[in-house]
Amino acid sequence: MLSRLALRSLQEAKPVLLGIRSTSSTAVNKSSERDEVNFPHPVRPIEPGKVRMGFIPEEWFKFFYPKTGVTGPYMFGIGLTTYLCSKEILVMEHEFYTGITILIMVVFAVKKFGKGVAAYLDKEIDEIEGVWVNYRKSSIDSIKKAIEEEKKSQWEAQGQSILFDAKRENIAIQLETAYRERLANVQSEVKKRLDYQLEMANVKTRIEQKHMVDWIVNSVRTAITPAQEAAALKQCFADLKALAPKDA
Amino acid sequence: MGFGEYPAEYNPKVHGPFDPARFYGKPDIPFGEVKLGEVGSWLGRRSIGGLPSALSRAFWRWQHKYMLPKKTGIAPFCQLAIGAVTFFYVINYSKLKHHRNHKYHW
Repeated sequence: MLSRLALRSLQEAKPVLLGIRSTSSTAVNKSSERDEVNFPHPVRPIEPGKVRMGFIPEEWFKFFYPKTGVTGPYMFGIGLTTYLCSKEILVMEHEFYTGITILIMVVFAVKKFGKGVAAYLDKEIDEIEGVWVNYRKSSIDSIKKAIEEEKKSQWEAQGQSILFDAKRENIAIQLETAYRERLANVQSEVKKRLDYQLEMANVKTRIEQKHMVDWIVNSVRTAITPAQEAAALKQCFADLKALAPKDA
Repeated sequence: MGFGEYPAEYNPKVHGPFDPARFYGKPDIPFGEVKLGEVGSWLGRRSIGGLPSALSRAFWRWQHKYMLPKKTGIAPFCQLAIGAVTFFYVINYSKLKHHRNHKYHW
């Protein structure tokens, strides 16, 4: 149950957060209905409002000026003080004189040390502001530098593509070489096998022929009987005699 | 409007960053321009409930004008001191009265 409560409070907090975000003065998320004319972005003033005598706003004197002139407000102050004193509304007891003493001391201190203290404090404030301004500036600069570096590395990466193309070509050539090598290999292997087949066929026919011849010759030889041999020999002699010259 | 909440009229989309010194409602005629006969109706349009926020705005106007500028001087501290002196004088007046030096005043 508590967790649900926490979740709900988170959901309630969300619109406020969104509201704060949309008030940001950056151009990116400025809403279209933003009224810059009647509700300008508040700016911290450098100089404070003008005062006279250390604390009375200048507006008080301006208010008097059209009706009474320059001395009017002072006369009003003196008159009011006179009235307060004479009616003893401002009672001059012991604390009143203490107050006057303190006032004199304060005025003296302000007149004497005011300028130095003001200059010192202004310097301090400028230093503090300078630290923040420098921090902001250096942040912007470093981010800009990082962007430049990033662009440069992107450019370098583009150059890499040429290198990649060359590498790709190289590999393509290697692949082509290997392919051709294999093709030649296949060709020679196939040729070897075919040669083997041819040789085999040749050998077979030769042996068959040889065998056939041998067989025929042998069977012819075995078929010749001694009588036939003798007749053939006799016939040979007869032929030789017939060939021999008659007059020898 | 409760504590820690923005005024109902404040719309961050239109008004931008919240300025505690500003009145975001529909402005009435400034008191300086009200005619004598209209003072009654002018006061009738005011309400006690709006007083705390009016005081808060006045305080922030003073802060923005005297206390928060970059090169502020001793003026706001003097104003604070004078204001404090006056305030404490007024609340202690019933006791201070007994220190009067004169019986009659003209």
